[in-house]
Amino acid sequence: MDLSHIHLAAIGAGLATIGAGLGIGLLWSHGLQSMARQPELLPKIQVSMFIGAALVEGVALFALVICFMQMK
Amino acid sequence: MGIAFGAGPVIESAPTRQDLVLEFINEHVTNHASDGHTWNLPFLHIPFLDWLRYDWVMLCVAVVVSVVVATIGARRHRPVPTGLSNVIEALVVFIRDDIAIANLGAKEGRRLTPFFCSLFVFILSVNLLGLIPMCSSATGNINVTCALALLFLVLAVGLAISRRGVLGFLKSFVPHGAPVILLPILVPIEVISLLARAFALMVRLFANMLAGHIIIFAMLGLVVIFGYLTFPVVGIVVALLFAFELFVAIFQTYIFTLLSAIFIGLLLNPEH
Repeated sequence: MDLSHIHLAAIGAGLATIGAGLGIGLLWSHGLQSMARQPELLPKIQVSMFIGAALVEGVALFALVICFMQMK
Repeated sequence: MGIAFGAGPVIESAPTRQDLVLEFINEHVTNHASDGHTWNLPFLHIPFLDWLRYDWVMLCVAVVVSVVVATIGARRHRPVPTGLSNVIEALVVFIRDDIAIANLGAKEGRRLTPFFCSLFVFILSVNLLGLIPMCSSATGNINVTCALALLFLVLAVGLAISRRGVLGFLKSFVPHGAPVILLPILVPIEVISLLARAFALMVRLFANMLAGHIIIFAMLGLVVIFGYLTFPVVGIVVALLFAFELFVAIFQTYIFTLLSAIFIGLLLNPEH
């Protein structure tokens, strides 16, 4: 059976977003809990959460770039 | 596209609408991600201008925009600035306090604030110019973001060498108080982590900008495939994606500037 019509790159990109979703979700859940415990630390925790979200998304976008390279 | 079942012959059908849309998206995306095709005036064609490239023109426009904005904003009209000067002052104070001094210390932070301000304003203008209909985003080209990441890398290594000398810089890759047996593993990891940070900066900005464009093209391709009755719904979705892309453009410049400041700070003061 010839599987050349299945776009495996797109499936890989979809799998990569699972990791990104998990990472960002865990990060924000712990961040929100700590913000609720200590509201005076709110600005610092918010900034750290955004930095962490950007780093996690960067890793997911590595996989997306490889998917871009599969396009002819 | 061919269909192949088992050992039967390959049937080549006429290019369907899907193929045409895919081809259009591919061509547009690869033109942005690779060298870029030639640029000419929007509705005229002057053969004299055929040597210009798309992203190169966009970079020049972004440089002109940044210089004009900074020059107008930096004029001192009166003791309390108003209008554009106010915005520029708020931006510079924000970069100086939250990005430069927080990560580099008071002295180095003040010295490097002009670099981070220029980086921020330049990347912001390049990203925002990509949202205008007839223009493309120069940071959607990986060569441009590679140049920006190299800028960060050269600055970080140059500052570290000028502060500690070449030997001191090389010695900073050895973690403090590590057993000698583990050094052949730890030192390459430290070196690779510096290069990986620059690489991640490059790929993060490039992929964020490119993905926004691709998603909008793919959504509009749905209209081409399924007929024009789907346009209202797809139009609303595309408008929302456009707003999200605006947010991503501003956020990614902040992240690029902030992360380069953090990594320069980590390289200058290795934590023991």
